[in-house]
Amino acid sequence: MTNTNRAILCVCVIVVLVIVPLLIESPYTFRLFILTFVYVTAAASLRTLALSGQVSMGHAAFMSIGAYTSALLARYGDFSPWLTMPMGGLAAMIVAVLVGFPFARVRTIYFSMVSLFFGIGVLSVYSIFGKYTGHINGLIGIPPLFAGARLPYYYYFLALMVACLAVLWRFEKCRIGTCLKAINQSHVVAASVGISEVKFRVLALAMSCFVVGLVGAGYAHYNMVISYSAFDLPASINLLVYMLVGGISSFAGPIIGAAVLFVVPELFRDLKEYTPYLYAGILLFVVFAMPEGLVGIPDRLGSWLKSKHR
Amino acid sequence: MEPLFEILVSAVLLSSMYVLAAAGFALVLSIMNILNFAHGAIYMVGGFLCYEFSVGYGLNQWLALALSAASMALFGLFLERFLFRRFYGDFFSSVIVSIAVIFVLQTTINLTVAVNVRALPTFAPGMLHLGSVTVSMERLVTAAIGVALLAAMVVFVRVSRTGQQMLAVAQDAEGAALQGIRIHRLAAIAMAAGCAMAAIAGSFMGAVFDLNSTMGDLILVKVMQVVILSGIGSLGGILIGGLVIGSVDSILPLFTTPAITQAVGVAIVIALLLVKPQGLFGREMG
Repeated sequence: MTNTNRAILCVCVIVVLVIVPLLIESPYTFRLFILTFVYVTAAASLRTLALSGQVSMGHAAFMSIGAYTSALLARYGDFSPWLTMPMGGLAAMIVAVLVGFPFARVRTIYFSMVSLFFGIGVLSVYSIFGKYTGHINGLIGIPPLFAGARLPYYYYFLALMVACLAVLWRFEKCRIGTCLKAINQSHVVAASVGISEVKFRVLALAMSCFVVGLVGAGYAHYNMVISYSAFDLPASINLLVYMLVGGISSFAGPIIGAAVLFVVPELFRDLKEYTPYLYAGILLFVVFAMPEGLVGIPDRLGSWLKSKHR
Repeated sequence: MEPLFEILVSAVLLSSMYVLAAAGFALVLSIMNILNFAHGAIYMVGGFLCYEFSVGYGLNQWLALALSAASMALFGLFLERFLFRRFYGDFFSSVIVSIAVIFVLQTTINLTVAVNVRALPTFAPGMLHLGSVTVSMERLVTAAIGVALLAAMVVFVRVSRTGQQMLAVAQDAEGAALQGIRIHRLAAIAMAAGCAMAAIAGSFMGAVFDLNSTMGDLILVKVMQVVILSGIGSLGGILIGGLVIGSVDSILPLFTTPAITQAVGVAIVIALLLVKPQGLFGREMG
């Protein structure tokens, strides 16, 4: 897809998304869209981290750092959410940098394991300070961003998602992103041309976690209640699945993956307890039939149609 | 002296139970280089199957155990043949496949049997007195079976021809295939054995603790801690890994909160991964 086509497509999608809320009324649909924006952003940030080959299985933990920092500061410190949300993002980024240095040299699957256990560890830490974080029942009474109305939330998360995606896109396309991809292909060769593995990996981790922390903080002030279960291992695995099923090799991959895998089960809610079967079915179908992920659908359709025309 | 002995006994018992749960996972990981995330779900289904066979159909509990293990072994064969065979080296695809399997298994159990089940009746009723310490026969039997299974597995792999072939495949699958070793058949055996051991573990743990559809998730984390600690490719080392994690999990809660216990266990694994990712006894992941 050429750059112009891609830009036009993005603009069209954004225009549609801007108009949509004026047409829908049910609060459930609003929530669906908002949460989709949240998870799309989170999945996209996960991919930024994955550019250098570090596939994190604990990304939801960084989301939780942003969420809990912002929520606690706003609730107990009486700061405005608009102030605490960026601080949530910053907190996530600081933690990311702190663990990023030791984690930077951990390769591929071992990094996945380390991130998985880090995610569990972070939740344990919340548990230790359960008096402040609300134990298993959750932290309640988080100040909202916009009292009452739904529409502002929608536009806020839409704007946040577009802004974050734009930043992540630029990050990937600029020199930093190229260096990360070089490190992914061969960290030895990359080092031989002066690309510092540690420095760039920490950068990627910092960027990725700032975004996911920011969006997590937003989630906290939207939901007004947060608990460990929103950020535990299954949540991290979900983000990972969104990215892998959508397609790890393309920027649009996690976007499509998150959108499809989050929305489709909700659309088929009538299946109720059978919904996980549908989810599992989608996963297996993509893994077997579409190794490049859901992003490959337009190309596959295109070549299939072309072959029919012969 | 006495409380120390009591602590030691409980640590050893818990460690052996972790060893029981981890044995199957370690086998599949060592031979097929696959992290079978579905191990926890298979463990859980094994426990439920044992319950259904024994309580639901009134069979002898040990027979039910055997049937459950056999059923899950068959399921393991199915998994290997149709789901995992295509993704031997592909970590991420096998993760997605495992997740899908977990969803299917958990949902099926939730829809069918989970509602009326609490715990498995005990395999070995009664208590045993070791000096001043009283332990339930059940835990003792579970621990003994755990160690016995691991020992049997290690011996099998070292001594038997199939085991040797498995070691060859684990070192270099292509090379082994060139020697005429049928790698798919070995993978199937490993998978079947792994699932059978998971089912046995699930049944015993279902008797010691209780049965619910999420028990697999909890044990999976513990199993991964044990296996990562002892190292990929190490089977006998599971004993040590299990001992470490089991000791932490049984001793620390006496002095501090469960949350801190978990944090410490996690910290140990993270520290090891940073310093020596292959684990205490393992080899580099192929």
